[in-house]
Amino acid sequence: MSSRFSLRDFSLLLALLAIAGFFAVQVPGGQFLSARNLSLLIIDFSITATLAIGMLLVILPGHIDLSVGSGVGLIGGIGAVLVTHQDWPAPLALLAGIAVALLLWFGMGTLIVRQRIPAFIITLGGLLVFKGLFWLVINNQTVPVVTGGRANLFSSLTTYYLPHVAGYVLAAIVVLALIFFRLKRRAQRSAQGMAADDAELTFLQLFLAAQVAFFFVLLMNQFRGVPLPFLILGAVAGVVWVLTRHTPWGRYLYAIGGNEEAALISGIPIARVTVGAFTGLGVIVALTGFMQTAYGGASTTTVGDLMELDAVAACVIGGVSLKGGRGGVLGVLFGALIMACLLNGMTLLAVQPEQKFIARGLVLILAVWMDMRLNRTALSH
Amino acid sequence: MNAVLSARQITKRFPGVTALRDVSFDLRPGEIHALCGENGAGKSTLIKLLSGLHPHGSYEGELQVGDEIARFASISDAERAGIAVIYQELALVEQLSVAENIFLGAEPTRFGLIDWPRVHREAGALLKQFGVQIDPDADCSRLGVGEKQLVEIVKALRKNSRILILDEPTAALAEHEVQILLGILRELRHRGIACIYISHRLEEVFALADRITVLRDGASVASFATPETSPSEVIRHMVGREIQELFPRRSRSRSADAPPPSLRVQGLSVADRHSRRLRLHEISFAVAPGEVLGIGGLMGAGRTELLSHLFGAWGERRAGRVELMGRELPPLSPAEVLRRGLVLVSEDRRRYGLVLEQSVGFNLSLSSLSGLTRAGLIDARREFEQNQRSFQSLRVKAPGLDSPAGKLSGGNQQKVVLGKALMTEPRVIFLDEPTRGIDVGAKQEIYELINQLTDAGQAVVLVSSELPELIGMSDRILMLHEGRIGGEFTRAEATPERLLQAAMGTTEPIAA
Repeated sequence: MSSRFSLRDFSLLLALLAIAGFFAVQVPGGQFLSARNLSLLIIDFSITATLAIGMLLVILPGHIDLSVGSGVGLIGGIGAVLVTHQDWPAPLALLAGIAVALLLWFGMGTLIVRQRIPAFIITLGGLLVFKGLFWLVINNQTVPVVTGGRANLFSSLTTYYLPHVAGYVLAAIVVLALIFFRLKRRAQRSAQGMAADDAELTFLQLFLAAQVAFFFVLLMNQFRGVPLPFLILGAVAGVVWVLTRHTPWGRYLYAIGGNEEAALISGIPIARVTVGAFTGLGVIVALTGFMQTAYGGASTTTVGDLMELDAVAACVIGGVSLKGGRGGVLGVLFGALIMACLLNGMTLLAVQPEQKFIARGLVLILAVWMDMRLNRTALSH
Repeated sequence: MNAVLSARQITKRFPGVTALRDVSFDLRPGEIHALCGENGAGKSTLIKLLSGLHPHGSYEGELQVGDEIARFASISDAERAGIAVIYQELALVEQLSVAENIFLGAEPTRFGLIDWPRVHREAGALLKQFGVQIDPDADCSRLGVGEKQLVEIVKALRKNSRILILDEPTAALAEHEVQILLGILRELRHRGIACIYISHRLEEVFALADRITVLRDGASVASFATPETSPSEVIRHMVGREIQELFPRRSRSRSADAPPPSLRVQGLSVADRHSRRLRLHEISFAVAPGEVLGIGGLMGAGRTELLSHLFGAWGERRAGRVELMGRELPPLSPAEVLRRGLVLVSEDRRRYGLVLEQSVGFNLSLSSLSGLTRAGLIDARREFEQNQRSFQSLRVKAPGLDSPAGKLSGGNQQKVVLGKALMTEPRVIFLDEPTRGIDVGAKQEIYELINQLTDAGQAVVLVSSELPELIGMSDRILMLHEGRIGGEFTRAEATPERLLQAAMGTTEPIAA
């Protein structure tokens, strides 16, 4: 769980740069790097990454969830129907959607843990069940997320942008927080007699982070500002980061994925921890569902299709082991960014859907293959 | 006499360490040659070299098999030269039968299909030939560790191996299984098969080996014909210092009024969850604070099952009452049992003890995290301080708390598992084979730790297959025989013979 950058992180960065470079050159008119497209790309990325971070919660203890794509459609659909057909206030409709997701994922988690049915099977069943429920709920129709053309909380999820000044203020707050935590860590490490991070390197890293943060806001402000989904992603990523790295529950996720039998003997309440992971994923699925549905402006039968695969691919590309016990939020963010770039770039290049499917599939296979290879080298050490 | 296998001036370097330094070693036909040394002395590296796991070219020096210079590129090269290694971690396919395992990779065929009747016939014949009483049709998953080991040996002999290398073959065996194994090895010696035998158990080495070579810190420091040396001399060479007393159990001054027991078990009967058969019958015992209760018995007697059940990790309670610190302990989950002050250190530390790819620190604090939080978050400083204290007091030999637990030697891994258990501040500690497969020095430290625990008023239940350890470290000893109590002994009453008799069920149980 070292937070230092490894070769793998660099290879991710290189892959990202290579992909972005490829599209920057290939897409006509420099469209890929236009402020408008980058803004859209960031929204895509935020939605994919949010779901992938939820997926991280269940992959860490060695499970998987194939139902999240259908779940995204279903929960978004429930929200849309409540707002449009039932005239519920949007906040209430969103809360209701979260409650449903919470119950569904709590149920699946309980089945997986208590009945010892592999997550693969339960969530594969969930994929179909949720898809059917979804279509029933929206009655196979297109259900808009607004009534009477008036924006509400639901529809604003992907149309609201931070005012330009607020974006800069936020960047400043983030940079200050980074500096604070970094200094605290340094103090702690030296108090523990460990080699403190090199002062110059620390400064350089912080300086770079600050530049990236302000440049990012500047770029977003070129279009409309920092999009709300990015803030939602930031909140989800922050919470999950703290949970996985600084709470017993997070440690237990790693321990269960690393060696479930040892975790049991170590007195870890495996059932409770794992059900908790699935329940947390459920909440994140609901958030993703709202964003994805709002992004399209309406709930339609295809919302959420194949999102589970993008989420798994983002995790695996980001260094999360499918066996469990290895990976973290930062890697998943990288993985999701790579996936988002690929999808966005292919759309701009007007790649046919057939070829897009094939490309997505190949990327997933490639990522898992790399994961296996890395595992093997780690073992034969 | 020409050596069947010789290694000359072998030096093997890994990045940062020299694992073997100018080691020479030879094995004569039909001899059993014991390799002794603490963990990390270079035994495993030497074996990996001999078995082709470290290929020719990755080391300096020369290997010779018979009259030919050997340049093994792989394990299969070494196998073709007649060298077979029986590893500590057994390499059987659990789901296959004994016969299928013995012929794995070399199934006789007829018309392109596996000739199953022949597989079973010949496997049966091989097992019989070596006096191994195992059903060739049994699933390997149903065999005990000792039986699996015998199957491995038979599998190696099926390949016509002339040189057998056994790495800690008896670490997991009960006393009578050790005897069977030693018998078989002696029989093989008659047939001219040479054997390299690695063991921490010196009694066996002296009972079996013709010659003994001692490795220390990657160098061969001494080589003896067995009759010309003594265990204490070998130990002296292994550790480079004299060990005065092997079992430093301090005699306790018992107060007149005995304290109430920390753990009391009455009439406990437990069934296996899958087979529904009763495996433990009417077990009763008690352990007082500051006391070490030893539990012995043959493989399959129910020792591990007893501990696992009390810890909440195995079986279905059919009858009996358990009290922990004067309070009834119903069947609970391990998490809940641990919270009530009972902790288990399993015999299989890699499987049940450690998250191998995580750090030493991660593993140390894993069981006690809930007590280290502030506002729900782990207090990193307190966690570090607690880990550091444990790391230092247990003298774990590792670069630091950040090192991956999987890279530590067996003894140090065991210390980490113990440290994790002790950090929960338990009242009762179950130690299941705490010194299995670890070197003499680390054993001493673990014995010393047991003394410290009991001095602090904690109660220890020690399960061990090594009778000297059981007698040396326990205040009282319970012998199990087929799931029942076969006898209970005070330290003064305990002799290896009496314990073994009780374990084999040949005497009437002595009333407690």
